[in-house]
Amino acid sequence: MSFYLRRVAFYLVTFWAAISLNFLLPRLLPGDPAAIMLGKLRRANAGRPLSEETVQAITAILGAEKGTSLWDQYLAYWGRLLQGDLGVSSTRYPAPVAELISAALPWTIVLVGTATVISFVLGIVVGAWVGWRRGTWLDHLVPVTTVFQSIPYFWLALVLVAVFSVQLGIFPIIGGYDVFEFPGGPEWSWAFLGSAVWHAVLPATTIVLSSIGGWLLGMRNMMVSTMSEDFIVTAEAKGLTPRRIRTKYASRNAAIPSLAGFGIALGFVVAGSIVMEQVFSYPGIGKLMIQAVQGLDYALMQGVFLVITLTVLAANFVMDLIYGFIDPRVRHNG
Amino acid sequence: MIRTTRRLALALAAGASALALGLSGCSPSGGSAGGDDAILRVWAGSATPINNNFNPFAVDTAVHATFGAIYEPLFFFNQLSADPPTGMIGDSYEYSEDGKTLTVKIKPDLKWNDGEALTAEDVAFTFGYGSNVSEQFVSAEATDDTTVVLTYTEPQFTSASLTLGSTWIIPKHVWEKIDDFMAETNPEPVGSGPYKLKSFTEAAYTVEANELFRDGAPEVKQVQYLGLDSNQSAQDLLTTGKIDWVGQFIANPDAVTGSGKIATLNLQQDPTTITTCANAELGCTGPQTDPAVRQAIDVAINRSTIREKAFAGLAGESSPSFMLLPRDEQWLSDPALTTSPQDPDVAEAQQILEAAGYTKQSDGFYGKDGASFEIDLFSPDGWTDYNDAAKLISEQAAEAGIRINARTVSDAEYWTPIQSGDFQMTLYGLTQSLVADPYSNYHEYFAGTSTVKVGETPLVGQNYSRYSNPTVDAAVLAAGGTEDVPTKQAAYATIQTEIARDLPYIPVVLNASQSFFNVEKFSGWPSEDDLYAAPLPYLSVANAVVLTHLKPAE
Repeated sequence: MSFYLRRVAFYLVTFWAAISLNFLLPRLLPGDPAAIMLGKLRRANAGRPLSEETVQAITAILGAEKGTSLWDQYLAYWGRLLQGDLGVSSTRYPAPVAELISAALPWTIVLVGTATVISFVLGIVVGAWVGWRRGTWLDHLVPVTTVFQSIPYFWLALVLVAVFSVQLGIFPIIGGYDVFEFPGGPEWSWAFLGSAVWHAVLPATTIVLSSIGGWLLGMRNMMVSTMSEDFIVTAEAKGLTPRRIRTKYASRNAAIPSLAGFGIALGFVVAGSIVMEQVFSYPGIGKLMIQAVQGLDYALMQGVFLVITLTVLAANFVMDLIYGFIDPRVRHNG
Repeated sequence: MIRTTRRLALALAAGASALALGLSGCSPSGGSAGGDDAILRVWAGSATPINNNFNPFAVDTAVHATFGAIYEPLFFFNQLSADPPTGMIGDSYEYSEDGKTLTVKIKPDLKWNDGEALTAEDVAFTFGYGSNVSEQFVSAEATDDTTVVLTYTEPQFTSASLTLGSTWIIPKHVWEKIDDFMAETNPEPVGSGPYKLKSFTEAAYTVEANELFRDGAPEVKQVQYLGLDSNQSAQDLLTTGKIDWVGQFIANPDAVTGSGKIATLNLQQDPTTITTCANAELGCTGPQTDPAVRQAIDVAINRSTIREKAFAGLAGESSPSFMLLPRDEQWLSDPALTTSPQDPDVAEAQQILEAAGYTKQSDGFYGKDGASFEIDLFSPDGWTDYNDAAKLISEQAAEAGIRINARTVSDAEYWTPIQSGDFQMTLYGLTQSLVADPYSNYHEYFAGTSTVKVGETPLVGQNYSRYSNPTVDAAVLAAGGTEDVPTKQAAYATIQTEIARDLPYIPVVLNASQSFFNVEKFSGWPSEDDLYAAPLPYLSVANAVVLTHLKPAE
């Protein structure tokens, strides 16, 4: 039991540190968000003088909280956080950050999540097979998939769009669904669902293509080293079928390290895939993050980082617990 | 972000297209078929998720359709011509002798898109509401159903385009219930423009023809505005016929217009300048506070090369008079000020520096007292045209013995120092005057009243160079208080001589604004011969004027 208590305590401390860092980091960035917004407003206003009230209103909302100490700001930050108030975005003023994030999150989780699971499952299954048949032509799969992984992601995505969407016209160029067919937005219908799935194919393919290599390589190598273990030799000596040895003995043990990596990868799903979202104009968290950083939108930045931090921690926590369960060795201390 | 990748992306896409053609021999399937062809699809530059904001006071965050398609000003000022403004809600206007009173007649029998009558009462309400109230404003009164009298404490001759051309008339019956006009998102906008909101999503929103529009509903019945995150997506959608109108940079326009379905216009208006912190008296530091150094840079740089290499040959030649020529020709005092020197003159640059007491130091660069000087020049990272231009300027200045260090900064580090004056030189785009009169350029960027000392941000105007010259200030004041052409010409001549000599902003090029539109599906677009409005979908008012001129092709 103390294993789980230790874990919980550890995660509580990490959680506190992460949230505090989340408070500090944006304040260490250069530049003043109020000045940025005023500058843009002035240009957009085409010479109309900004009224004193406008300037004051913007400085009040966005300006560095002058006059209050960092400690007071920190307390206020916790107070708002506990009420679920993530503040108001400055780049998308006056939209609440919580709303922006909750609108983007489902797209990211479904697409990037599914793609990550597909990539992992494919990588593990194929990796196990390649490892089992080591030394045959199947080994060529390893360099092929790692080449895909080493190609810059946006390049791969652009090439796929240029070939399959622009030239062949098979897949859509942009979006999470067909904005021409469904100008009213998402709706609960089979047609919409089909459209959303169809639009997810290319983005998901690029994510899978660019990440499968790692899983495959790791699994294949673990498989090869597991197969030289004594218990495999014993199993073979007992006369078990090769299929049984492959699935029940070798693969299950070889997959354990990959599973830990998978936990971390799942946590990062929420961070989205910034480049994928950019290339496909796909809705998601990643672009919120990049827009927030570019526009010095503290509230949005903190909100997004908070969500990412929490999911990474949660995913790790769950993985830790599961890991202790599937591999009892980690529960014992020394 | 977008701008970093666009050229590379283009090259890659071209390569990939060639590959695909070679592999398959297939051609693109083309545009969408059937009845939805009548929907015009636009990308005005919004990224996803689109902000659900139709508040005409949120000039920076509201969506593009707010400004022109849904809400209208009184008059349309075509920034491409010297013609008088055309009436939208307004019918005619007249200044009093002293310029302090403006009487506006509006058209009769107008309706809001919710069916209520639009009267002078609404117009008067608008001018007394929210950020429309300026310090010089006294009152706005509706004397009858179609007449509004605006009173000010100072002459308003020079703010006609602001008051009449970009004040969005709002319905009193809706807005009198709204207190916080800045925090309002106005999701169900009631306007008077040719279109009204049909549906909104974060990926795209659609406006439909307003049947109550005063000139009758426009022929294009629906316009869908898309949110896209990259220029490459817009270009792909354009070439495949999925969208019909964009205003964006495409380095190689022939790749898009080659098929004959897409036409393009390139308008060159807004000057890109080397903005210098020019005024040591207000706290600027560095060698660029010496006019001689700025003059030397002005003749040392090779603008032809910059236009070709950094701006893909699409930018125009800028004028040290800071006017848009030939539009503002009648205000040009000296033909020599038509354009800045396009080719470098190293000898002259060195002569200027030597006359000002600079000598070449042992390291080959000019300086004083045994040490060469260096100037910092920054541009926002990822604005590749600016970054390339800065690099070229640095190299060209070095040939004349002037050391300029070009560097790139993040967006955040770009805007803040410019406004507070904490910089030496930066590449910065000025906004061209919207009317055929350079007054707003001179007042915004050159007047001493539009600046403050280094460390503070100007409240009025955008004179970030901190330039302050009593001669210029007096002339700006004189030009602002009159409608008399010769008086104004004399004042502008003074300003032009002063600023072309002092060069607080060293003109580099006129920025290109490219637009691309589908001429196969829609007709009535502006052309070189008929520039009735700038065909830029992000440009307020003009975009709606273009929309009302369009017809679906047979």
